[in-house]
Amino acid sequence: MTAGPPLLLAALCLVSGAAFGRRNPRLWLALTLGAMAAAFAAALLVGVGAADWEWRSSLAPGGEPVHVRLDGLSALFLALLCVVGGAAAVFSRGYWADAGHPGSAPANRMWMSLLLAAMGFVLLASNGLHFLIGWELFTVSAYFLITLEREHRAVRAAGWLYLAASHAGTLCLFAFFAALSVRTGSWDLGPLRERADLAPLFWLALFGFGVKGGMFPLHAWLPSAHANAPSHVSALMSGVAINMGLYGILRFSGWLPVPAGAGWAVIGIGAAGALLGIALAFVQTDLKRLLAYCSVENVGVILIGLGGALLGVTHGDEPWAELALAGALLHVWNHGLSKALLFFGAGSVLHATGKREMTQMGGLWRAMPWTAGLFAFGALAISGLPPLNGFVGEWLVYLGLLNAAASRGSAVWAVIPAVIVLGMAGALALATFVKAGATVFLGAPRTRAAQDARECGPLMAAPMLALAGACAAIGLAPVLFWRPLERAAGSWHPQWVDSGAPAPLAALGAAHVAMAVAGFAAAAFLWRKVRVNGVRRAPTWDCGYATPTARMQYSGGSFSGIAMGWFAGILAPERTRHRPHGPFPVRASWLERVPDTVLERVMAPAGGAVMRVSSATRRLQHGRLQFYIVYLLCGLTVVALLTWIGAGQ
Amino acid sequence: MTFILETLLRLAAWLLAAPLLPGIINKVKAWIAGRRGPPVLQLYYDLARLWGKGVVMSTLASPGFIVGPAVAWVALVGAALIMPLGGAGGALSFRGDVLLLVYLLALARFCTAWAALETGSAFEGMGAAREVSYAVLSEVALITAVLSLSVQTGNVTLTDMLALSVGSGAVLLAAGLFAVLLAENCRVPFDDPNTHLELTMIHEAMILDHSGPPLAVILHGASLKLLLFAVLLSQVVLPLGRLSPLAAAGALVGTVLGVTVAIGLVESLTARFAFRRVPLLLTAAFLLCLFALLLARKGGVG
Repeated sequence: MTAGPPLLLAALCLVSGAAFGRRNPRLWLALTLGAMAAAFAAALLVGVGAADWEWRSSLAPGGEPVHVRLDGLSALFLALLCVVGGAAAVFSRGYWADAGHPGSAPANRMWMSLLLAAMGFVLLASNGLHFLIGWELFTVSAYFLITLEREHRAVRAAGWLYLAASHAGTLCLFAFFAALSVRTGSWDLGPLRERADLAPLFWLALFGFGVKGGMFPLHAWLPSAHANAPSHVSALMSGVAINMGLYGILRFSGWLPVPAGAGWAVIGIGAAGALLGIALAFVQTDLKRLLAYCSVENVGVILIGLGGALLGVTHGDEPWAELALAGALLHVWNHGLSKALLFFGAGSVLHATGKREMTQMGGLWRAMPWTAGLFAFGALAISGLPPLNGFVGEWLVYLGLLNAAASRGSAVWAVIPAVIVLGMAGALALATFVKAGATVFLGAPRTRAAQDARECGPLMAAPMLALAGACAAIGLAPVLFWRPLERAAGSWHPQWVDSGAPAPLAALGAAHVAMAVAGFAAAAFLWRKVRVNGVRRAPTWDCGYATPTARMQYSGGSFSGIAMGWFAGILAPERTRHRPHGPFPVRASWLERVPDTVLERVMAPAGGAVMRVSSATRRLQHGRLQFYIVYLLCGLTVVALLTWIGAGQ
Repeated sequence: MTFILETLLRLAAWLLAAPLLPGIINKVKAWIAGRRGPPVLQLYYDLARLWGKGVVMSTLASPGFIVGPAVAWVALVGAALIMPLGGAGGALSFRGDVLLLVYLLALARFCTAWAALETGSAFEGMGAAREVSYAVLSEVALITAVLSLSVQTGNVTLTDMLALSVGSGAVLLAAGLFAVLLAENCRVPFDDPNTHLELTMIHEAMILDHSGPPLAVILHGASLKLLLFAVLLSQVVLPLGRLSPLAAAGALVGTVLGVTVAIGLVESLTARFAFRRVPLLLTAAFLLCLFALLLARKGGVG
C-alpha cells in the first residue's frame, strides 16, 4: 500500500470539514480526526518504511503540473502535525465550544481545517509555485485563528504584527523560489546538491523561513501572537506552525548546497536564541508569553543541532554530524508535543480563572488536580529532564557536539560555546518551569478567581493525557523512534541511510525505564510510610508568623529576580516605583515590565524612522492642483531629456 | 546475576557511606573550634529517628510535597550508580552517560524546589529561587568541566574520561570543581548549613516545612550528593586507571576523606559570602574550568 490513498482521504476530510463543519461540530471533529489518522498512517508508511512516495499529475493549475512527494523528512513533520492537530481539534471542542463562543466557534472550525490542510500541503508540495500558494494559505488561515477574539485591541495588534512579520518572510521566500526557478529553469523542487552556484540562496531561505520559525532575532512577532491567540491555536502555532519554518530550513539546507559559513551562522543564531529566549521566558509574568518565549529557546536548541550537523558535513562528513541532526529532529517532536501539552494546560487554567497573569493565580492544584499534574509533567519534559522525551533529544544534540569537541576538529571552536550555552539554557529552563508551575498551581490562591476555579472537562483533559503519553513513550523507549529519525536524516543527507540506532540509545532507554520504575516505587513507598507514621495538617510554618496570607507568598517576579539582574543589560526591565514615605506610608508600589528587546528597542525605532520618512514624503501630496501640474511638467521634461539622450547615443 | 549482585553491593556502599561525610565535616569543624562536637555517626542517628516520626504537612501542600523528595532521592541514587568507582567502572556505562549524570542532578533540583514551593511560604520561595538561580552558574561550570575532560581524553564515556588524570589542567579543574561542590551542596562560603536565620539560607530554607520520613530522605539525598561530588573531584585528579584495583580503591577513599576534611577546614576558616558575591565566585569556578578546557585543547592526549 502506498501513502497516496490515505493522503487523498485526509485531504477530502479536511476540505469537507471546512465546508460542512461550520454548522455541525460533531461531524467536523469526526472528519478532522479521520483526516489526521489517515495522514498519520501515510506518514508512518513512509517514515518507517523504506521508500518515499511521489506523485506527478498532468493537471496544471496555475500553469504548473502538480507534483507532491512525501519523504522521510516531510513524513516526520507530517506525523507531528497529525498528532498535535488531532489533539488541538479535540481540545478546541471543549475549550472553544459553540455555547461559550457562538460567533467565533464556526469560524474556528473552518479555519482550523484550512490551516491543517495548508500545512500538510506545504509539507507535500514539490513545486515552488504551489509551495508558495500553500504557504500563503497557511499564513492567512493562522491569522484568522489568532484573531478569533478580534474585539480585543491586543488581539488585533498581535494579529497584525504576525501578518506583517510573516509577509516580510514570505517576500524573501518569493525571492528565493523565483531565483531558484530562474537558475534551474523550472519551478520543480528536488535535490540539487551538486549545483554549487545555488549555495548563496541559503541565506534567503534562512531569513524567509526563520521568520516563521521564530528564529532569534526574527521572533519578535511570536510572543504576542502566541499569547493572545486562543489556547488551542497557541498550541497549534507553537507545536506545529513554527516547525513549518524549521522544515523549510531543513528541507532546503538538505536539497541545496550550503555556503561555507552556514554551519557557523546557524549554530551562532541557535545559541543566541536559546540563551536569550529562555532568559526572556524566565522573567515573564504572563503564563502564555512565558511559554511562547520558551519556544524561541527550543528553536534555538534545534538550530544548534542543525548547525552542528552542517559543520560536520562541511568539515568532511564527520560521524557525529548525524547524531546532532537526529537530536535536532527529535527535539522538533519533543518540543511540539510538550509545548502543545503546556499550552493546553495554560488554556485550561485560562478557561477556569479567566486569567493569564501568574501573579493572580496560585493553589490551583486543589481545584484542578489533572491539569496541575499534567502541566508538571509537561514542565519536566520541556526542561529536558530524564526520564522524559526532552532529555533524549537534548542528549543526542549534546552527544553529537561532545563527540565533535572530543575529535578536536576545526569545528571545536563553534561547538564549545554551543555546549556551554546549552547547559546554561537547560538550567534556566528548569528554573523557568519551576517558577511557572509553582506560581500557578502551588501554594494558596492569590485571588478570588483562582479560588473559584473548576477542573476542565474530559474533552480538554483527554488530549493533554494523550500528549503526555507520547512524551513518556519517547522518553522510555527512544529506540523505537530511531527509524523515522534515521529516514529523515537520510533524506537530508543521502549517505546517512540505514545507519542503525546508536548503541547508547538503547542503554539510555533502559536507564530511563529503571529510573521511572524506581521513582514510582520510591514515591509509593514513602507515601505509605508517611501514612503509617501519621500525618497532621497544620498551617505553613512561616518561621513563627501566626497569620500568613496568600499575598505573602513568593511571587513569580521575585523568583526570577536574581537571574533578571544578570541579564539586566540585555533585557532592560522598565521599573516604576513609589517608595513608602514618612512614618505612616499610605501607598507604595513597584511595577516591573520586561519589554521584548528586539521588538521595542530595535524594530519599533526602525519602524518609526520609516514612518517619519514616509510622512515627510507625504508632504508632496497636498491637493493643490497647480503644483501637481508643475510635477507633471517636471516629470515630462525629465522623460523627454532621457529620450533625447538615449536617441543621441 | 552477577550484574544484579554487583549493583546491589554498589548501591549498599553508596547508601551506607554517604551519611558519614557530614559527620566528618562537623567533627573537623568542632576540632578546629576546640569543641568536642557531635559523634561522627550523628546523621545516622538523626535519619533513624526521623524515619520513625510522624509528619506535619502544610494545609496547602499537595501530594507533590511527598513525591518530590522521593523522586529527587531516586535521581541522586541513579546518578551515584552511574558514577564509576576507580577500576570498577559504573553500574551502567554508555557513551554520553556523563550527561545523564548532570541531568539527574538537575532532576533532583527540580523536585526539591517544587516540593519547597508546595507550602506557599515566602522563605521557601526565597530558598528555591536562590537554589535554581545559582545552579545556572554551577551547571555551566560543571558542563565546562565535562567538556574539558572529553576534549582531554577524546572520550564521552564517564569511565574513560575519569580513568586518567587530566594532566596540567587537573589543578585548575580540581579548584573549579571544588567550588562547584561547595555551591551545589550548600556549604560555606555559599550557604551555611548551620545558620538559624531563614533569610540567609538556601538549601535549609527549602526544607523548613519538611518533617519525618520525607525530611530523612532529603537529608540522606543531600549527603549522597556530597559524596557524589567528592568522588567525582577525586577521580578528576587521580590517575586511577594506572593503579592496581586495590591501590585505586585505597587512593579513592583517601582522597574523598581528604576532600571532606578540606570542606570542614573551609567552613571553619572562612565566613559565608554576601549573596551578591556568590555569582562572582561561581563565575570564577567557571573560568577555572574554562582555562582547564583551553589547556586541554592546546595539549596532547594524555
